[in-house]
Amino acid sequence: MHRSCHSPFFSKTALVLGLFVGSLVELPCLAETKEEASDEAALRADARKTFKEDVAPFVENYCIRCHGPRPKGGVNLKSALKSPGSASSFLHWKKAVANVKVHDMPPEEDVSKIPTDEERRQFAEWIDKLKYLAPRDPGPFVIRRLSKVEYGNTLQDLYGVDPGIVGVLPDEVVGEGFLNSISPLQSELYLEIANRVVEEVLAAKGEDPAAVQKRLFGETPSDGADLREEARRVAQSLARDAFRRPPSDSELDVLVGVFDLARENQLDYTASLTLMWKAVLVSPQFLFITPAEEVDSDESIVRLDDYQLASRLSYLLWSAPPDDELIALAEKGDLRKTEVLRSQVERLLAHPRSRALFDSFGAQWWRVNGLEQQVFDPDLFPEVTPDLRKAMMDEARLFFGSVVRENESVVRFVDSDYTFVNEPLAELYGLEQTIQGKEMRRVELANPNRGGILGMPVTLASTSFPGRTSPVRRGVWVLEQVLGERVPPPPPDVPELEELKGEDLEGLTLRQLTELHQSEATCANCHQVLDPIGFGLENFDAIGRWRDRDSAGVAIDSKGKLPSGKGFATPAELKGLLADRESDLARNLTERLMAHALGRQLEGYDEIVIDRLMRRIAEDDFRVRTIITEVITSYLFTHRKIEG
Amino acid sequence: MKTPSAHSFLDRRNFLRGAGVSLALPFLDSIVRTVGASPVKPPVRLGFMYMPHGVIMDQFWPKSPESFLDTPPPALEALRPVLDQCLMMKGISGVPISPFNGAPHALELSTWLTARLPDSETRSRVNIAISADQVMANYVGAQTLLPSLELATMPQTHKENQEGLHEAYYSHCSYRSPTQPVPAEIDPRNVLNRLFGKRGKDARVTKASPLDRQMLDHVIGGAKDLRKTLASDDQQKLDEYLDSVRSVERRIAAIESRQAEASLEKAGVSTKKRHAADSPPIEIKIPEGDKRSEYMQVMCDLNILAFQTDTTRVSTYIGSTPNGVSYPELGFTDTHHSTTHHNNGEEKVGKVAAITKFNIDQYAYMVKKMASLREGDGTLLDNCIMMWGSGLEDGNRHSRENLPFILAGKGGGSLHTGRFLADTKGNQGDLLSTLLSCAGVPLDRPVGIATKEIEEMKA
Repeated sequence: MHRSCHSPFFSKTALVLGLFVGSLVELPCLAETKEEASDEAALRADARKTFKEDVAPFVENYCIRCHGPRPKGGVNLKSALKSPGSASSFLHWKKAVANVKVHDMPPEEDVSKIPTDEERRQFAEWIDKLKYLAPRDPGPFVIRRLSKVEYGNTLQDLYGVDPGIVGVLPDEVVGEGFLNSISPLQSELYLEIANRVVEEVLAAKGEDPAAVQKRLFGETPSDGADLREEARRVAQSLARDAFRRPPSDSELDVLVGVFDLARENQLDYTASLTLMWKAVLVSPQFLFITPAEEVDSDESIVRLDDYQLASRLSYLLWSAPPDDELIALAEKGDLRKTEVLRSQVERLLAHPRSRALFDSFGAQWWRVNGLEQQVFDPDLFPEVTPDLRKAMMDEARLFFGSVVRENESVVRFVDSDYTFVNEPLAELYGLEQTIQGKEMRRVELANPNRGGILGMPVTLASTSFPGRTSPVRRGVWVLEQVLGERVPPPPPDVPELEELKGEDLEGLTLRQLTELHQSEATCANCHQVLDPIGFGLENFDAIGRWRDRDSAGVAIDSKGKLPSGKGFATPAELKGLLADRESDLARNLTERLMAHALGRQLEGYDEIVIDRLMRRIAEDDFRVRTIITEVITSYLFTHRKIEG
Repeated sequence: MKTPSAHSFLDRRNFLRGAGVSLALPFLDSIVRTVGASPVKPPVRLGFMYMPHGVIMDQFWPKSPESFLDTPPPALEALRPVLDQCLMMKGISGVPISPFNGAPHALELSTWLTARLPDSETRSRVNIAISADQVMANYVGAQTLLPSLELATMPQTHKENQEGLHEAYYSHCSYRSPTQPVPAEIDPRNVLNRLFGKRGKDARVTKASPLDRQMLDHVIGGAKDLRKTLASDDQQKLDEYLDSVRSVERRIAAIESRQAEASLEKAGVSTKKRHAADSPPIEIKIPEGDKRSEYMQVMCDLNILAFQTDTTRVSTYIGSTPNGVSYPELGFTDTHHSTTHHNNGEEKVGKVAAITKFNIDQYAYMVKKMASLREGDGTLLDNCIMMWGSGLEDGNRHSRENLPFILAGKGGGSLHTGRFLADTKGNQGDLLSTLLSCAGVPLDRPVGIATKEIEEMKA
């Protein structure tokens, strides 16, 4: 794998700016102080001023001749001038800035039309202010289908069935980029699963109904009772549980309509309720998180209603439907109160169910969710058994959970003095003398090279090839997953190393081979940053065992330095340097969690909100529970845009 | 291989238990074609099978049109017995990927059947184009139990964001609409159960009753009120779900009519009888181990069975997605992607050649089996067009000026096979448009970047 980069800069974070330039709607905003609001207003004014005085003239002078109405190279600056803060314009700005920065643009055909270095610098710096041209916007709350895991948990919570009942559904990944679609082949699965749930929960003819059935359907009505009335009461309670909010009258009418349909077909009372229940189970209101009521269409941005908020919160932290307490708070309209919401976040995180947060979010963040399918060369790594894979994953889950539970600083993720192991995993740590048995337990670590995700087998293995480590991948992983920087992909048509050198590469060590990247300008910009970080972890082999020599018997050289120029000689020292960057670590986690919680990429206005959260998170020493709480109580999480 | 989790289809699992249990499907004997008079000219079916990362060119391209049949290139060795029923063409170019130069692997699969680039202004969402298979599904899908069949051998959950493009581009080739990728099924048991679940007490599919159908009608009707409370993006999501509910309704109706037809046939009054000489439906053996060849072949078998029984007329089969599958059966564990960046080094070139041959061998397994099954006046393959291909030519350089692909089957007499056309002028969209035309699908607009149909392909 050859990664290199075409720009000498790493763009800081992958935020895409923009959204719709429309009326700037000012709304009272949760958790925003007056001071913050006036700061923001000043920055917005400044951004508009810079745009008008510097950026627009620069574009008019140097760019618009080629990038106007018939834009060359797909960069259209005419539309970008018209709506500078929109999402589509941002892509054009980003390209323009990248090219101007490296002197690729404007072309040097006409020397009188070449900007000064100072003008170039100003143009490039302006991109950081672009976010202040984006209007205030929490983004839409695109309704989404429950994921496979959430759906299984929901059926378990409501009806006591095993969550494995949804096993026939395809696996999927929640969060940013989650897909709602299902194929024709899968589309009937929901009806099929509903049939199966019904079959498991309801008693066969002649048998006594179990507790769940009694709870769902109530007592059998006495002779002469109005069965439609009874059915409507049952529908009310079934729908309230399943829709996670009170059903509307018209929704009840639909369900009672299904009851009538069954009665017309000569089904008895219980069988008719069953068909009605099945209708609940295949309703979009059950399978999707939907708003409780129609909102006043005069407003373009509204708060989530309390029920929607309860669902969003509970599926985020538990991958499960809101429990009675959350629903009761929603019913009273209390959940929207910041203090109530905060204490509910605390309550949900304290509960064992919050381990779901690692499975849905943490594993994606650390990029370890492919471990189960990953291939290891069986000749080189015979010790990789299903048990070991499971232990590796459990270690990460337990470690993530402990940092959250103990509300430690985000720094603890990269630098800690404890972890969780069992016997098979202890062998990778060289601790097999003291650890026996399959049970995972917390151990103190005396070795400073271990502790934290940089020295953890699951991440070290996930960044490796089947037969060897990949310093390049590890370097990219540290920069992207840990520090939140964005490493561009290699440019197209990058010449291969062998052609570059025209030499025989046999006999070079992995380090020497990889360092060839740095002797070639097109590769060097990125690889001089990536590779040394990756080599800092070379003492860990492809499954995370310590080694002093590589497979060819050559001593490991793990010296390197960060882009800042600070050097390190061991994994422990690398860890130490990363631990010093607590603000970057915290921002990365905050942005990733926010994108995951909203189910979308972050864009223009989001960045302003994140800036604000970061100030408060820093004040509380970058504690992880604080980060989670700030995300959940943020304007973005608690509001939605209706129509642009 | 993945197995369904513990509580799903316990009964069915018992039924399937045991290594390589041969699963007879006697009930399929009574399956009848759903359209046309007796015995009808079989419909043309179109199947696509994918391998990522390109080929080793001098092992893949035939030396000359003249040598194609007698001395085929090494990669095609397994196809030798059916080469007279194959068509190869060099010169079909892929969609140029600028401005997404950093996303060769996100685009190789997603442009393969759409012949179009994603929308660059909304790249964080899925917004590309309907794919050729779904164009066909729209036209013929209503005539079969399933409008289209999507198969794969890896979960489509890979998260890799290239050039800011939505992750789904990385692992999906089939798009029902510009914004709706169609997920593929990776578990052969699920496919078997879904498509050919045996009748009786255990069968969920056939158990769905007319009453369920009417119940779904109520649910769809009731969603109209919900729709009003949603923003337009949300309405679209809701509509996608309701569409899928509608397809369930239609499927229940199709099963009802199929059952009615079967009982008519039993009573000797059917007018839509299968051709008496047609081969019986093939048997499906679910492999027990985790050999990739067996896994790929059982998916091939399911594709064959779906075509043979006219359960669907268009399929896609993603042999693997671009995120690094490996082939321990070939004696090495390097991932596919890493070997393709071979820098012309002998060892890695050899590995890529072996992987390519392995994939073509599985495809050859499928088309040779289809050629052995009688249908109408000829064979099943005669009435199909099976395309195997990749979205890159040279994985080392990510080039796609000459997309590598093989066509097998005569498409009901529409395709002129047994040839290698060494210098075809055309692009990916032209190719797909021509294939759809050969499959009898009238096009109201070209596929992707197409400008024409390639007449020299046709019989």
